Amino acid sequence: MSGRLAVELAGLRLKNPLLAASGTFGYGVEYERLMDLSTLGGIVSKGLYLEPRDGCDVPRIVETPSGLLNAIGLQGVGVRAYVRDVLPRLERHDTAVVVNVCGDTVEEYAEVTRILEDAPRVDAIEINISCPNVKKGGMAFGGDPKMTHEVVAAVRRVTRRPVVPKLSPNVADIALFARVCEEAGASAVSCVNTLLGMVVDVEQRRPRLAFGTGGLSGPAIRPIAVRMAWQAARAVSVPVIGIGGIMCAEDALEFLIVGCRAVQVGTANFVDPGVYERINAGLLSYLDRHGLAGIGDVVGTLAYPGETK
Amino acid sequence: MPANLDAPLVAREALPGPYALLTFAHAAVAREARAGQFVMIKAHTAPEPFLRRPFSIMAVDPGRGTFTLFLKGVGPGSRALIDMRVGETAGCLGPLGKPFEAPPPGAEALLVAGGYGVAPFYMFGEELRAQRRPFHLFYGGRTAPDLPLEEILIEGGYPLALSTDDGSRGTPGRVTVPLEAYLGAEGRQAVLYACGPDAMLHAVARVAQARGLAAQVSLDPWMGCGVGTCLGCVVKIQRPSDARPKWRPACTEGPVFDARDVVWS
Ligand SMILES: Cc1cc2nc3c(=O)[nH]c(=O)nc-3n(C[C@H](O)[C@H](O)[C@H](O)COP(=O)(O)OP(=O)(O)OC[C@H]3O[C@@H](n4cnc5c(N)ncnc54)[C@H](O)[C@@H]3O)c2cc1C
Ligand SMILES: Cc1cc2nc3c(=O)[nH]c(=O)nc-3n(C[C@H](O)[C@H](O)[C@H](O)COP(=O)(O)O)c2cc1C
Ligand code: FES
Repeated sequence: MSGRLAVELAGLRLKNPLLAASGTFGYGVEYERLMDLSTLGGIVSKGLYLEPRDGCDVPRIVETPSGLLNAIGLQGVGVRAYVRDVLPRLERHDTAVVVNVCGDTVEEYAEVTRILEDAPRVDAIEINISCPNVKKGGMAFGGDPKMTHEVVAAVRRVTRRPVVPKLSPNVADIALFARVCEEAGASAVSCVNTLLGMVVDVEQRRPRLAFGTGGLSGPAIRPIAVRMAWQAARAVSVPVIGIGGIMCAEDALEFLIVGCRAVQVGTANFVDPGVYERINAGLLSYLDRHGLAGIGDVVGTLAYPGETK
Repeated sequence: MPANLDAPLVAREALPGPYALLTFAHAAVAREARAGQFVMIKAHTAPEPFLRRPFSIMAVDPGRGTFTLFLKGVGPGSRALIDMRVGETAGCLGPLGKPFEAPPPGAEALLVAGGYGVAPFYMFGEELRAQRRPFHLFYGGRTAPDLPLEEILIEGGYPLALSTDDGSRGTPGRVTVPLEAYLGAEGRQAVLYACGPDAMLHAVARVAQARGLAAQVSLDPWMGCGVGTCLGCVVKIQRPSDARPKWRPACTEGPVFDARDVVWS
């Protein structure tokens, strides 16, 4: 891959600005047989707690116009099994490994992070304070500035690695939360997780998802996600990673132009595992077309009406 | 290994009613697929729905590098595929999932199909024939028009027992009626295979259990990714080694499961 797509992110050098979003790429190894994982800038793991979790009852997913509503409930193997079984298999792939850390309590977030601290293959910690599909932790923390500060600071204390809180879009003022994270020691912020939504089965007159509500992802949320990433990028000096509905190079460019240093691709993985190759090729041809040397030259170049750059 | 390709439609045959046979070029599926496996596929001609859909592989032609699907148009995804014209392409990932396992020597394979669930049994029949294993196909539907593959199966020389709920074709009643009649009173050496609506799968599982026979059922939950990462397709499974039931992805650990392990809802 050409060095023109390389980006610097909180001390990490990514070969390109594309990371696979948490929960949409398993633990990474699931895609080993389908694609060359080294074509990714990085892989963000599925959310991990201290212990394995069963997740929600079914149905867990329903498709909506240009969107996917899910309530998976963070089913997963737990951090110890991840360290033992998954990380060694990622050894041979040349890509950054970011671990998405969850917890029911502040202490659990810190404990999961501490366990990961001894694992050599981990490059950064993403703090999931924004999952809408759990009763404790998740969005309950990410929707409260005080709790957000507490979780981020607690994780910051137990790791040397970059700490990247993942913001919830289900708040009125995302800039406020980005600033709280920066103050608490965040190295970057991911922006955003899924939007809280609901689909009703009108025949049964009940929600289609067993959990009731769910998190909306996919192209349906992209304009909201771009707006929030833009607000967050203006509010803090640490890098912002843009997430939400990216399907092609143009979509990724929207996030980069409003100020994101990198982006994550989620639901698009389900539609087409070949999406990274397509986006990378599209980014390179954009650079050529605009006579730009590297992808960094695109970041934060938005000409907003009425503002001078 | 599964491959993700833009697969051109090379042949298309409309069947009466909402059904069609579609043949796509896809070398990996053609070469490697086994009966019971599926593809995740989406017509490039329609932007919505934007997720791919799972369909069982009905037949393969390794020489030509093609595979065939038997589709029932039930919603936008399946209809967009049926409406494709030869030469148009579909995004297609496969082959995916666990296939049916042939019965042990001496046991007959009894394939029980409901509705579009007949698709994988066309291929399974071919596999069993190639291995010179005896089999019988029980094909049931609500009414005669719900058995659109009848002619093709008869032409192909499949040992076939038809049934319809309304009695308009074959034995009247559920597909388990001719199945139980075939099994008879004395203990027959057989393995049951079932693909179709949940209620039918459960009924076949009960027949197997009552007679102490093994059964493999192909489940069809809603699927998001087909590769084990969205965890949207999970089904409740309790294997003998499991202390309690577990949510397992049907796309990677199934869609074919041992009926005894399925925790029926
Ligand atoms: C492993 C597997 C193999 C399959 N093989 C075949 C096949 O060979 N031929 C074939 O015609 N179909 C097959 N299906 C079913 C097929 O995937 C669905 O019919 C299709 O996804 C419907 O998509 P749609 O956009 O057309 O309709 P949608 O609008 O998504 O659905 C239309 C209606 O069907 C229901 N529905 C959707 N998916 C399913 C499902 N998986 N099970 C039961 N009800 C559902 C919806 O609730 C809705 O009421 C298979 C499914 C699986 C999981
Ligand atoms: C099925 C599914 C599971 C997800 N699981 C997680 C998770 O475990 N942790 C997390 O932080 N985000 C999770 N997300 C959110 C995504 O990482 C991403 O933020 C969101 O889907 C928006 O991006 P997209 O539109 O590109 O999918 C999940 C999303 C989906 C669709
Ligand atoms: S369809 Fe996504 S895990 Fe099975």
